[in-house]
Amino acid sequence: MTLVSGKIGNEYIVLEIRLEGNAKRRLEALGMTEGTKISILNNKKNGALVFKVRGTRLAIGKEIAESIAIKEVISV
Amino acid sequence: MKNELQVGFIGNPNCGKTTLFNAYTGAKLKVANWPGVTVEKKEGAMKYHEHKFRLVDLPGIYSLTSYTMEEKLTRQYILENDVDVIIDIADASCLERNLYLTLQLIELGKPVVLALNMMDIVAERGMEIDLHRLPEMLGIPVIPVSARKKTGLDILMHAVAHHKTNELDVNISHHHNNKENMSHHVHNHHREYVVVYSDEIEDKIDAVSELLSEKYGEIWNLRWHAIKLLEQDEEIVNKYPLDISHIADRSYETDIINQKYDLIEEIIEEVVVNKSKKAHATDAVDKLLTNRYLGLPMFLGIMAIVFFLTFTVGDLLKGVFEYGIGWFSDTVLHLLKNIGASPIVISLIVDGIIAGVGGILTFLPNIFILFLALAILEDSGYMARVAYVMDSIMSKVGLSGRAFIPMLLGFGCSVPAVMASRALEDKKDRFKTILITPFMSCSARLPIYVLFSQMFFKEHAMLAAYSMYIIGLVTAIIIALVMNVSSKKSEMHTLLIELPEYKSPNARTIGIYVLDKVKDYLTKAGTTIFIASIGIWVIMNFGVHGLTKDISDSFAAGLGKLLVPVLAPAGLGLWQIGVALISGLAAKEIVVSSFSVLFGITNINSNAGMDNLVSILSHSGFTSLNAYSLMVFCLLYTPCIATIATIKRELQSRKWTAFVVFFQLVTAWVVATLVYQIGSIFL
Repeated sequence: MTLVSGKIGNEYIVLEIRLEGNAKRRLEALGMTEGTKISILNNKKNGALVFKVRGTRLAIGKEIAESIAIKEVISV
Repeated sequence: MKNELQVGFIGNPNCGKTTLFNAYTGAKLKVANWPGVTVEKKEGAMKYHEHKFRLVDLPGIYSLTSYTMEEKLTRQYILENDVDVIIDIADASCLERNLYLTLQLIELGKPVVLALNMMDIVAERGMEIDLHRLPEMLGIPVIPVSARKKTGLDILMHAVAHHKTNELDVNISHHHNNKENMSHHVHNHHREYVVVYSDEIEDKIDAVSELLSEKYGEIWNLRWHAIKLLEQDEEIVNKYPLDISHIADRSYETDIINQKYDLIEEIIEEVVVNKSKKAHATDAVDKLLTNRYLGLPMFLGIMAIVFFLTFTVGDLLKGVFEYGIGWFSDTVLHLLKNIGASPIVISLIVDGIIAGVGGILTFLPNIFILFLALAILEDSGYMARVAYVMDSIMSKVGLSGRAFIPMLLGFGCSVPAVMASRALEDKKDRFKTILITPFMSCSARLPIYVLFSQMFFKEHAMLAAYSMYIIGLVTAIIIALVMNVSSKKSEMHTLLIELPEYKSPNARTIGIYVLDKVKDYLTKAGTTIFIASIGIWVIMNFGVHGLTKDISDSFAAGLGKLLVPVLAPAGLGLWQIGVALISGLAAKEIVVSSFSVLFGITNINSNAGMDNLVSILSHSGFTSLNAYSLMVFCLLYTPCIATIATIKRELQSRKWTAFVVFFQLVTAWVVATLVYQIGSIFL
């Protein structure tokens, strides 16, 4: 699954960032590296969303969200 | 010997860097909440005991790569200038991300002092940071400060003065879960460097370093350059071309980033106690403000409140100003008559200058409140949310939500708004944004709406004025939409923005910002508008036969009459309107003072003056529909000279600037004509 299909309030682990160039580097510099835990705070119908990664709130558009593969953290 | 220490202020956006810088220098700088506003370099000087410092404020950045203008600029500054000490400002409440830049700065090799800002927020959240362990792990001095409360400032400068040699006064010590002992790498770097990579990468760093020094001799901080070559950093690869394909067949950038973050996780684990147990207030507020259904209406609601305050409270204060200016005008008139000044001098001073400049001054309360509101929105952190909330609408017209920030600023003044379009990376995006930003109704246009809506729309005045903002917005969106369809579906527009923590706006920051704007406005009233008032007075009082009593024989009338046939379809076929619109190119608010001078009304903003103007205008068949068309035209036509100059600077092209100017003129004419013609059918 990708970030677009994530649900508000759930936690996920970043598996892969399928982006090239600047967007990927900026995400990585902001702490969005593979294996990082993120939680989705808000999202919109058009695919844009707000999530938290390493204590930082980021807002991204649909194009970026579609390129980030995630898997859900199963809470015990 | 150099007796001045050069200190660079570096930090993430929104870490309070500019506030800290202001606390030291008292410079009139503003803090903004989106990346890229402090693109220009800001300097200040200060003394602390026997030490002299030169302080340089660098743009807020997240990392030290060479992908954005701000990052390049900062890196070049560190590498090429003789900066003595770097103050790295970190938001302690968001340490994990801030430390990434810190590690990169440390790796770069210049002396770094870490200033931990916002420790009060950390305490509020019930978190603790081990200030003894953190410097041990980073190998640099760490000083807790509060830029807002101005605490820790002296200690920070003390640390800077004593850290210029970059000798590690602290021994780096990491535990690394005893991984250190399992290393097979020939050297053990763990006492030497803060960031030590995996054996695989360390081997490659050594190999590249060797090649580098063979080919280029002595290079300052060889290790850093080797790491950058492994990351295939564009700038360094071009500067030191080196064939390393047998060492590294791909970019190791991602690995290097990941390993830096691994170290950060280790540091956070050891240093931060009680990691954010409390729910953040920001998250609760964001649940509403960035909600998928409520976000947009709330944004529009907030803007409506801003304009409501601008009108009601502003108008209340306006009365006071009018009274003062009326009194001043009368006093001067009386004085001039007493000293026996000639009627022409009296006319120039009272009807020309005082009427022109005074008319503008009465709008100071409106402008003040509008900027105050915008400053509060900006300083509180809401502006970044606007980019997200507006993203869905903006992406439909082919712009990123980020482009909305320049557009929003356009409501204040087009000049900083056009400048803010720099934050957009894509060149096409930037051009589009610059083209449509002036359609956002700037505060200078407000006096025009206030005057005409009060004269012709009475109890619906506020609605009429508010509709201007909506028309401007809609026009901008339609134009962007047309451009998006005509150019083939362009590359993806990516929203990627940090949403900073909400904070209560800082009075000092807002004060500095608003005073700056008010000063700008007053300076404009004192210079551009002063000169324009005289100019307009001259062309109205002189004609081909010299001084003329009858205004319709003047140069102004001749000029205005040329425009009558062009403006008639838009319902603006009075020569006075033509003159007023031309004079509005100097600054839009001059349209108002031109009206007062052209129709010979001294107290245009008072009720009597307005009634007077309304009766004069209605004699020429000028109704509320004409007034509305005039407001629309003023909203959309070519912005003031200052904005045109800024557009030219940003576009770096005379041709395209001319296109923008012409395009806006045509748009204004088309929309105003549509309004008038369609309105005529119904009314």
